[in-house]
Amino acid sequence: MTSYQIIPVGDQALAIEFANRIDPVVNRHLQQIGRRILKQHLSAVKTIIPAYRTLAVAFDGSQISFAELKQQLQPLIEESMNAPLPPSKTWLIPVCYGGEYGPDLKDVARFASLSTAEVIKEHTAQSYLIYFLGFLPGFAYMGSVDQKIAMPRLEQPRLEIPAGSVGIAGEQTGFYPVASPGGWRIIGQTPLKLYDEKNPASFYHAGDSVRFFAVDEEEFQRIQLADRLGKYQVKAVTSDADD
Amino acid sequence: MPMINVIEPGLQTTVQDLGRPMHQINGFPASGAMDQQALQVGNLLVGNSPYAAALEFSLTGPTLRFMATTFIALTGAEFHAQLNDQPVKGYRCLQVHTGDVLKIGPAVKGRIGYLAVAGGLHLPLVLDSRSTTLRLKLGGLNGRALLSGDRLPIEAKPTLVSYYHRHAPLPELPDLEQPIKIRVLKGPQWDKFAEEDQQRFLSGTYTVTNQSDRMGYRLKGDVMETKQESMLSSATVMGGIQVPANGEPIVLMADRQTTGGYPLLAVVATVDLAKLVQCRPKQRIEFELIELDAAQELLRQQQAALKELHRRIKKARYQMPYGITREASQRIQRLFKE
Repeated sequence: MTSYQIIPVGDQALAIEFANRIDPVVNRHLQQIGRRILKQHLSAVKTIIPAYRTLAVAFDGSQISFAELKQQLQPLIEESMNAPLPPSKTWLIPVCYGGEYGPDLKDVARFASLSTAEVIKEHTAQSYLIYFLGFLPGFAYMGSVDQKIAMPRLEQPRLEIPAGSVGIAGEQTGFYPVASPGGWRIIGQTPLKLYDEKNPASFYHAGDSVRFFAVDEEEFQRIQLADRLGKYQVKAVTSDADD
Repeated sequence: MPMINVIEPGLQTTVQDLGRPMHQINGFPASGAMDQQALQVGNLLVGNSPYAAALEFSLTGPTLRFMATTFIALTGAEFHAQLNDQPVKGYRCLQVHTGDVLKIGPAVKGRIGYLAVAGGLHLPLVLDSRSTTLRLKLGGLNGRALLSGDRLPIEAKPTLVSYYHRHAPLPELPDLEQPIKIRVLKGPQWDKFAEEDQQRFLSGTYTVTNQSDRMGYRLKGDVMETKQESMLSSATVMGGIQVPANGEPIVLMADRQTTGGYPLLAVVATVDLAKLVQCRPKQRIEFELIELDAAQELLRQQQAALKELHRRIKKARYQMPYGITREASQRIQRLFKE
């Protein structure tokens, strides 16, 4: 069984930590542990925050001690790790690659010694697990992209990356739900509005998967308009993630 | 619906409650009151649930006109507040009437204040909270800080039980003349720092800089020299002390990002969080290690004090004087005692 440890993070949070690497199986177990903790409705547990290989559990430190909570969580963790993983949802996300939508696509192609079309083919060839959402609301940390196109971050981050931009940072890939500064290599943009402050909850969650598909500029405009009018339904398929 | 009219907005006045911790899983900052202790006491004093939304202001508070009879309480930092040009005290419940003007003005001591209003501020819930996250234009009043001319919906409350007994002890606020002691727990990456750095952190004096806001307080002082190998991002906590590449510690606050890739050297003990939050720029801080068990014991005591205050106010409904109209008689009674 995968080994883990439980360590305190201050007096009102703890972290369940797995080996220090990005591993989709470990992360999917971690998501499952998180769901099971929430299902228990433990009165002292305030929230959970998953990341790549850690699951933080924030609790009311005046209600329960670290040692007590650790003891309560241990059997739950072991049980969830031995249980089979449920099928995950895969969201199909349209992306217009290159040009003004993906200013770094050419650089990534050069880095990979591929044509831009081959980079697009690589990026759309598999589904990516959403390891966690963080940094910004709905910013999905996904992986892993093929080693060939895993170009490191820009040395000098851009001051503003438009909302919807899809990028690569090493083996990670992800999209920017809101315009923000950032150092990821931007290879395309999705026409979907990923963050709406009037309706801020995102439709995808940590533990889901994403598969990108390429659309041309005309299709981009069409989907964007439909999405703004609330007439575009993001497609999803339920399947085991391509681990 | 009755309103509070904003005459002057103050430096940065926002609507805050206990935040939206459950949505951190989707990348939303927890937000909520910086000094949760002060917010909770304020709500208690005006008879609100702990989840009610109040105004939070920093360094200079707003000037407000009440368009209804209701009850308010000022908590957190100490301000030279005036109600209709008469000085008023913090940490006690006050009745206000239609047309009354409350001028909160600049902070005398401490940094962040709260104005709790009976019944709470009636603004829509966004992701289970009325807290404002400025960076994301989320929650509160249209996701932004107050402006002159804004109107905040409240409810009229002509009476409040045990009004006279609704007061709480003043908190200890940091004094710019004296360095304050803040107790910290070893952070999850404490051991990744060289012993010299750990010593430096515990023996040095740090100063709160101007670059301090609801996301984090940047500190100046001895720089951590240990070079960190890059870390996989993990969850952040309020009061987490992270050390970015330049080696200068940042204390993470209410609007922090939910996850981060910088190592957490230490985490402020919750019992000392309010004290740290109330530090202004130039305040000197000394850190002191505390064990987990001791920190949790202090936290229990702090919560017990809050419960005791709640109990005392509740019990007071059976004590004289019962209503606001009896306040004068209480004053006379006290004069005779003295």
